[in-house]
Amino acid sequence: MNTTLSLGSVQTCFKKVVCLFCSCLTSCCRCQTLRRARERSTLSCDCHGVLHEGGLVVVTLATVRAPFSRRAESRTTCHKGLKRRPVAMGAVHAKSMDPLPMHGKDLGVNPDDLMEHPEPEPDAKQEILENKDVVVQHVNIQGLGRTKEDLLGYEISDVFNAKNLIDVMKKAHIARQRLLRLGIFKEVEVLIDTSEGADALPNGLDVTFEVNEIKRLTGSYNTMVGNNEGSMVLGLKLPNMIGRAEKLTFQFSYGTKETSYGLSFFKPQPGYFERNLTLNMYKVTGQFPWSSLKETDRGVSAEFNFPVGPTGHMLKWEGVWRELGCLARSASFAVREESGHSLKSALSHTMSIDSRNSAIFPSSGALLRINQELAGFTGGDASFFKEDFELQLNRRLFWDSVLSASLWGGMLFPIEGKPSCIADRFYLGGPTSVRGFGMYSIGPQSEGDYLGGEAYWAGGLHLYTPLPFRPGRGGFGDLFRTHFFLNAGNLCNLNYGEGPRAHLQKLAECIRWSYGAGIVLRLGNIARLELNYCIPMGVQSGDRICDGVQFGAGIRFL
Amino acid sequence: MIRVNERVLLCLSLTAAEPWPENATLYQPLKGEGFFSSSCSLYHLQTYLRMCGLPVQVVCRPNAEYMSPSGKIPFIHVGNQVVSELGPIVQFSKAKGHSLSDGLDDVQRAEMKAYMELVNNMLLTAELFIQWCDETTVSQITRHRYGTPYSWPLNLILAYQKQWEVRRKMNAVGWGGKTVDQVYEDVSQCCQALSQRLGTQPYFFKIPTELDALVFGHLFTILTTQLTNTELLERVRSYSNLLSFCRRIEQTYFESKDS
Repeated sequence: MNTTLSLGSVQTCFKKVVCLFCSCLTSCCRCQTLRRARERSTLSCDCHGVLHEGGLVVVTLATVRAPFSRRAESRTTCHKGLKRRPVAMGAVHAKSMDPLPMHGKDLGVNPDDLMEHPEPEPDAKQEILENKDVVVQHVNIQGLGRTKEDLLGYEISDVFNAKNLIDVMKKAHIARQRLLRLGIFKEVEVLIDTSEGADALPNGLDVTFEVNEIKRLTGSYNTMVGNNEGSMVLGLKLPNMIGRAEKLTFQFSYGTKETSYGLSFFKPQPGYFERNLTLNMYKVTGQFPWSSLKETDRGVSAEFNFPVGPTGHMLKWEGVWRELGCLARSASFAVREESGHSLKSALSHTMSIDSRNSAIFPSSGALLRINQELAGFTGGDASFFKEDFELQLNRRLFWDSVLSASLWGGMLFPIEGKPSCIADRFYLGGPTSVRGFGMYSIGPQSEGDYLGGEAYWAGGLHLYTPLPFRPGRGGFGDLFRTHFFLNAGNLCNLNYGEGPRAHLQKLAECIRWSYGAGIVLRLGNIARLELNYCIPMGVQSGDRICDGVQFGAGIRFL
Repeated sequence: MIRVNERVLLCLSLTAAEPWPENATLYQPLKGEGFFSSSCSLYHLQTYLRMCGLPVQVVCRPNAEYMSPSGKIPFIHVGNQVVSELGPIVQFSKAKGHSLSDGLDDVQRAEMKAYMELVNNMLLTAELFIQWCDETTVSQITRHRYGTPYSWPLNLILAYQKQWEVRRKMNAVGWGGKTVDQVYEDVSQCCQALSQRLGTQPYFFKIPTELDALVFGHLFTILTTQLTNTELLERVRSYSNLLSFCRRIEQTYFESKDS
């Protein structure tokens, strides 16, 4: 007799579903039923609802055998009229369930459906393994090519600590997630089987990870067409270059106006993927029409990321050779004076805590990011200290509406009396920050070219609601939100001799603010588009406003 | 297009109407940076403006080369306009009602242009050659001076970039294969031609012109700049009338006004 328990695998026709909490055999489950059950994202018995928040735990029983000897345990509680049967388990074939929607549609799989093909009771020797002590004797990894085994040892070693079958499954699942997170495997399958061989214990299990490595070299090619400019982008990636989850990426963009490239090498600490080092080398070109400025940066940087408790930290050193130039002959003299070459060598530190449930439309949680940068200490021409922060709080209200408040602020202190560079200063305004104003068109300017400021703050209060009458609910409509907003902010230069009271006063006078409403579209989980009707207020002379409809796209939002 | 033209016309008419402002500023790189060619054009421009009687204030900026709209130094900032290179500046001052070559007839004006071309083609190129293609000068003087305003490693990067650019230009004008001695010979020939044209006159023509400013700019720089050897200096010094020409202009336009 053979028993195969499968975690969500659909390769064979499955016949039984086992709840992993109470181990009741809830149903007969053919592929069809399984799929439905998958969509419903519960494959436990109804009492134990969604026990696989993390995507674990669908166990189906194909054919039943009693691999574990006679120490059968039987339980009698039965849920919702489903007949509890003792279950025997042999090989457990596990596969992740992460494609499952977390809050998928409930297709209403009803227990009667599940029962429609009653399986003949396996004749004997079935047992419930849930609380049974097992020993993981061997953990094997199959399919390794260039990956070094010592790296994987850290990721999977926890499986050995499992004490019972559910534990094994959970830990195997976690180990699988950890392996996938390395970004070096296309697929990871987990196979749990009883130990065999001379030293096999009666309750011994072998866990086998069947991995499929990503190709040594992957590439991509795109063409992009923008404002009067076309470019082609060539990307190359060498995942798992040396065998310990290192990654080398190269991107090259050749355009009609400019060429840019980036080369980056990523190296995680074995066994502690979140602690990693990234080295970059790049050349990027940016055009900033609001300042009539173009900037070409060639630089190298080294980044060290590490978590401390719930916070993520990043330490970075960056050395950039910056070349500033005027975008047009008509650029103001103030911008012209900033042209030329400079070298910035800066140390920076970023701390972030993000407890939001989504980066774009969060309904709860908060984000705090604090960034400080010290330039000039390690050489270079630019000397300044820059501090800025970002705070966002979200709270769910009635009818799926969400109240979101955010606050940004920053200050730049020039060091050694050197004036700050136009490329280092802060900019404010536009459809992604203080709405109703032109893109980065608030604050000091010269002949229509915005020069940025050394201090700023901006705050926003949003009320997000689903679309009126909720068209496309549960599907396309969920990509949209309507929002009502109130934004305010100020950007100015401070006279650092005056002291904090004068600074606060300066930042509090001439506040620009705006209010309005609009529609927001989520693009993936990184960007969003907004179409707003804005009413700018507190406009100062020199500011460029956008009274009425304003369209914006971006990844960082006030 | 029409709007642009209108703007240009408007600008020109405005500039013509406005007198030369008091706050006209001439921007040049720091002293010594890109020493040879830049100080040539600086003296040239300054002499020209002084000949015209136009006051200008000289400001040193390390990034002057990049501030200039055409990338050439020096340039002037007059009112809200930025004008670089001598040609446009001459035009600009003419629009303001100041011109040196008005007293010349067409033949003389053509002759003046021909000599100016000669100076630009020979002396300017020779200076650039010595400055950037003669290995001893490059390694001992040029690279260091050019990189002064920048911190390491930008000073080296920019100096090598500039050297590469100049060498490419030399190859394009056919000077790539020349030796330093050939270049000295070219300078000699050019000086010979200028010396013959000048003869015993105080200026190349009856009155001071752009050509006088240009020749003075180059010769004065050659005479006052310290190089790794004095070969170039000796060649120029052998033309006594050119020497006294330089002395004369220096006394008339620089010493008397400075004192």
